[in-house]
Amino acid sequence: MKRIQKRTWCVLLLVLGILIGLVLYIWRLAAHGGEWAAQPYNRSVYRNGILQSGTITDRNGVILATADGNGGWTYAEDISARRALLHLIGDSSGNIGTGALSVYADRVTGYDFVTGTYGGGGTLVLSVDAELCRAASEALAGRRGTVAVVNYETGELLCAVSSGSYDPANPPKSLEGEAYEGVYMHRLFSAAYTPGSVFKLVTAAAAIENLPDLYERVFTCTGSAAYTNGGVSCMKAHGTLAFEDALADSCNCVFAELASELGGEILSEYCARFGLTGRQTVDRLQTAAGKYTVFPDGTADLAWSGAGQAEDLLNPASMLRFVAAIANQGSSPALHVLKQSDILPFGGNVRLMKTETAEALARVMHYCVVKTYGADNYPGLELYAKSGTAEVGGGAKPHAWFVGFIRNEGIPLAFVVVVENGGSGSAAAGAVANSVLQTAIKNWR
Amino acid sequence: MNGLEAVVSAFADWFSCGVRFVLPVLAILIVVRCGLSLLQRDAEDIEVWGWLTLPNGSRVALRHWENILGRSGSSDVCLAYPTLSRRHAAIIRDMRGNWVLYDLHSRHGVRLNRDPIGGQAELHAGDLLSLGDVDLVFLPLTAEEETAQAESRTVPGRTIRPGFTLLLLLLFQLLLTLQHCIAADQADVLQISVCFFVLILLTWCAYLLIRAMRRTGFEIETLAFLLSSVGFSVAATSAPGFMWKNTLCLVLGVGLFFCIGWCLRDLNRVRRLRWAAAAAGLLLLAVNVFTAESLLGARNWLSIGRFSFQPSELVKVFFVFAGAATLDRLFRKRNIWLFVVYSGLCVLALAVISDFGTAVVFFTAYLVIAYLRSGDAATVILSVAAALFAGATAITLRPYIAVRFSRWGNAWADLNGYGYQQTRTMTAAASGGLFGQGAGKGWLHTVVAADTDMVFGVVSEELGLLIALCLVAALLLLAVFVACASRHSRSSYYSIASAAAVSILLMQVILNVFGSMDMLPFTGVTFPFVSRGGSSLIASWGLLAFIRAADTRQNASFTVKLPKRRKTENDQ
Repeated sequence: MKRIQKRTWCVLLLVLGILIGLVLYIWRLAAHGGEWAAQPYNRSVYRNGILQSGTITDRNGVILATADGNGGWTYAEDISARRALLHLIGDSSGNIGTGALSVYADRVTGYDFVTGTYGGGGTLVLSVDAELCRAASEALAGRRGTVAVVNYETGELLCAVSSGSYDPANPPKSLEGEAYEGVYMHRLFSAAYTPGSVFKLVTAAAAIENLPDLYERVFTCTGSAAYTNGGVSCMKAHGTLAFEDALADSCNCVFAELASELGGEILSEYCARFGLTGRQTVDRLQTAAGKYTVFPDGTADLAWSGAGQAEDLLNPASMLRFVAAIANQGSSPALHVLKQSDILPFGGNVRLMKTETAEALARVMHYCVVKTYGADNYPGLELYAKSGTAEVGGGAKPHAWFVGFIRNEGIPLAFVVVVENGGSGSAAAGAVANSVLQTAIKNWR
Repeated sequence: MNGLEAVVSAFADWFSCGVRFVLPVLAILIVVRCGLSLLQRDAEDIEVWGWLTLPNGSRVALRHWENILGRSGSSDVCLAYPTLSRRHAAIIRDMRGNWVLYDLHSRHGVRLNRDPIGGQAELHAGDLLSLGDVDLVFLPLTAEEETAQAESRTVPGRTIRPGFTLLLLLLFQLLLTLQHCIAADQADVLQISVCFFVLILLTWCAYLLIRAMRRTGFEIETLAFLLSSVGFSVAATSAPGFMWKNTLCLVLGVGLFFCIGWCLRDLNRVRRLRWAAAAAGLLLLAVNVFTAESLLGARNWLSIGRFSFQPSELVKVFFVFAGAATLDRLFRKRNIWLFVVYSGLCVLALAVISDFGTAVVFFTAYLVIAYLRSGDAATVILSVAAALFAGATAITLRPYIAVRFSRWGNAWADLNGYGYQQTRTMTAAASGGLFGQGAGKGWLHTVVAADTDMVFGVVSEELGLLIALCLVAALLLLAVFVACASRHSRSSYYSIASAAAVSILLMQVILNVFGSMDMLPFTGVTFPFVSRGGSSLIASWGLLAFIRAADTRQNASFTVKLPKRRKTENDQ
C-alpha cells in the first residue's frame, strides 16, 4: 500500500499542468482580452460588424464620433471637421486602417478585464484639437497632402490631417477616380514622399558633425556641376556662398558636393539614426518606412541624394519626429495620437542627435526664415523652418514640403506640411503651415 | 397594468445586473467550504487494523487493509532481516474482517503455524507467521479497539456543516433559475423552471438519502451538483427545448453513481464484476466501431430512437472499474499484460472512430493505472514512446489531424477557417470579464458545439471567469483529495480507481479548456458535468463514485460499510 500511496501523487502532475495552463491563460487574457473582445463578430458589442456603443472625443472633450444607440454612428457636427478627422477616427465600416474605430476598438468598446464588455461603451480621447484639424483641412483647400502639428515636449499630436478625404456621415457612392486616390490612407503615417530640399537638413546634420571646417568653407555655385553619370543643377547660379546661405538658398550644387564628400554610407547611417528609414510607432499605428539608397562615390545619384532627390523617400510623421528633436535640443519624445494622462509620466525621450548639432540646425533654420521665407509672412511666430520642392517627374508639379517648429514662449510646436503637387515648398506648404500655426497659437491653452 | 409591467421590467434589469456578482460569491463559498471540509483531517487520524509482534518483542501496526511485508524500505512493514525477500508476503483484510496471508514468490517461503502455505492461507488472531527464519505473531484489532478507533477518526461535517453548504448551493440554483426565466423566451420558461426544479429536488434527495444511510460527508456530491447546475445553465441557454434530456441524464447519472458506489462497498463483488465490466466496455466500443454514425468529425455517436449518445463516454467507467486492482493481483505479471492489451484495444478502437480526444483521455487513465500498478517509470516511458509512435502514424494516415497540429496556436491567423471556434471562444470569454454578461445573455452558444467542446467559453461569457475558474477548482480539489486520501486508503483498488477516475476528469478539463483557447490542439472533448450531452454527464457521475469510494473518513461515504453494523453481524 505504501508504494501505491506515494504513486497516487502522480495525479498532482495533472493538477500542476492545469494550474500552469490557467495562469498562462489568465495572463494572455489580461494582455490580449481587449483585442479578443474587439472583433466585429462579437455580438455583445457589434451588430452587423458595426460597434454599438462608445465615444471618441478630441483633447478638449469635443465629441468626434459617438454611437447613436440605433446601430449607427454620428460624427462631428461640422462637415469640414468630419472630413478633416476621417482618417484619425475611421468609419463604422472599418474602411480606414488607421482609424481609431478599428485600431482602438477595444478602448471604444469599453472593455476591461474585470467587467469585460458588460455595459459597453468607453470613451477614447484623442490628442488632437478638432478645431486645429479643421483649420488645417481648410488650408489645404482640397489639395491632397498632410498637415501635422506636435507638441515637441510631450509628443502629443495636436493636428494630424490627411487630405483626400470624404464625409463619413454621407459617404460618396463611389470612391473611384483620381480625386479619391489613396483616400483610405492616412498620408501622415502611411505615405512616403520624395523629400526634396527638406532632406538637406539631414545632409546638413551629417556635415556639421563630420566636417570640422564646415563654417569656414566658402562654396561656389555655377548653377550646375558634373558627376560621372550626369549633373546636378540649381535654378540659378548662387555664386560664392557660406554654409548657412547654401541652406537658406537651398543650393543643390553645394549639398551635392557635401553628399559626395560624406559618401552614401554616412548619409544612410544618419537617416537610420534619425529614424527616417525605419518604422516609427505612434501609439498603435506604424509609420511607413522611408528610403535612402546608397549610390557609389562620384555619381550624380549620390550627389542628388544629398539634396533629397534620386531615390530618397521620407514619411511625414518620421520627418516630424526628426524636426521635433531639433526643436527639443536633439531628443524627441515618442509621438502620440491619444491624449496622454496628466498624472502618468510620458515615455522617455529618444536622443537623435547631439544638443550642439540640434542648436546649429535650429540656428540655420531660423536663418532660412529670415533670409528666404520672410519673417513677415509668419507674423507673431518665432519660426524655424525648411522648405522642400520635390521633383516627382512625369511632368507633374513638384510636391511642396514645409517642416519646422516655433519657439514662441510656452508654445512648443513642431509641424510638417506636405502638399502633393503643390509647387513651391515655401509658397504652397509654407502658407498652409502659417495658417495652421496661427490657429494653434490663437487656440493655445 | 402598464405600471406593474414597468416595475417588473425594472426589477428584472436590476436583478440581472446584481445576480452576476452574487453567483460567483456563492460558487467560491461552496468550493472553499467543500475544500476545507474535504482536506481537513484530524492529526491523530491514522487507522490501525492489526498488529504484528516481532522477534525482539516490539509491535508493528498494520495501517491498511492491504499490507506488504518485506525487506524493502517501501514495504508497509519493513523487516530488515537477511532471509526476507524484498517483497516477501502480503496480509490482506476483506470487508468482513477476514484476513488472508499471501506468499509473494519469496525466496525462503512463508509458513503459518510452522506449516508451509501454498499461495495463500487464512489468518486468525494469534497465528504464528514465519517469513524465512523470522517469526511474527499476528493480532487483528478487537471489536472494542475498532469501535474506539472509529470514534477518534475524522468525521466530516462536524465543523463545516454540509447542510449549510447545500443551502448556499440551493440559493445558487434558485438565482440561476430565476435569471434564466428572465432571459429566456416565454415559451421555454416552463421547461427551464421544471428542469431546474428537478435538479434541486435531486440534490436534496441525494443528500437525504445519504443522511438516511447515516453518512455525513456530502462535499464531493455538492461539488458535482454545483458543476451540474452550471451545466444546466449552459443547456438552458443553448437548447432550452431539450433540457428534459439533460435532466433525464442527470437522474441516470446520479443513479449510476449510487449503483457503482454500492458495488464498490464489497471488493469481492468488484472482483467478480471486473471481467463483466471489461467485456461490456469492449462490447460498447465494438458496437461503436461498427455501427456508430459520424457527427462533427468523429464517428462516435450511436442513435437509438430519439436518443443519440457516445458509447465511448460510458466505456470510461468500465475501463476504470476493470483497470484498477487489489494488491494481491498486482504481483501477477499476467494481470498487467492483460490490462495493457485491454487498454491498447480501447485506444485503438477510439482511433479507428477518429475520436482522438477521448483516445488521449483513455491513454492518460491507462498511464496512471499502469504506473500505480507497476510503479515502473520504464513501463510508463515505453508506453509514452509507443503512443508517440502511434500518434505519428495516425497523423500520416489522417492528414486532417496533421493540419490541426500545424495550425494550433495560430487561431487568429485564420479566424474564419481553422480558428473559427477558438477565436469565438476567446472573444466571448474576454467579453464576459470576471462576472459575465448574465446567464442566458451570451451569443457563443450559437456557434457549433459551443455547449460541449467550448463550454468553458460559454460559462466565462455568461457567468464570468470567476465561476469558470470555480468549476476547474472543484475538479482540482477532487484530485488533491484523492492524492491525500490514499494515505488512509484501505485497498489499492480504491486508490488506483480513484486516481484513474480523477485523471480522466482532469485530462478532459485540460483538453476542453486549453483546446478551446488555442493553447492545445482543439480535439472536442467534453468538460465533465458541465458540457451539454447526456452520455458525458452520466459518465462523469459514474466516475465520481470511484472518487467517493476513496473517502475513508468515519461515516463519510456510503461506499464504505459502517463498522458498527459489521460488528453486530459478527456478534451474531
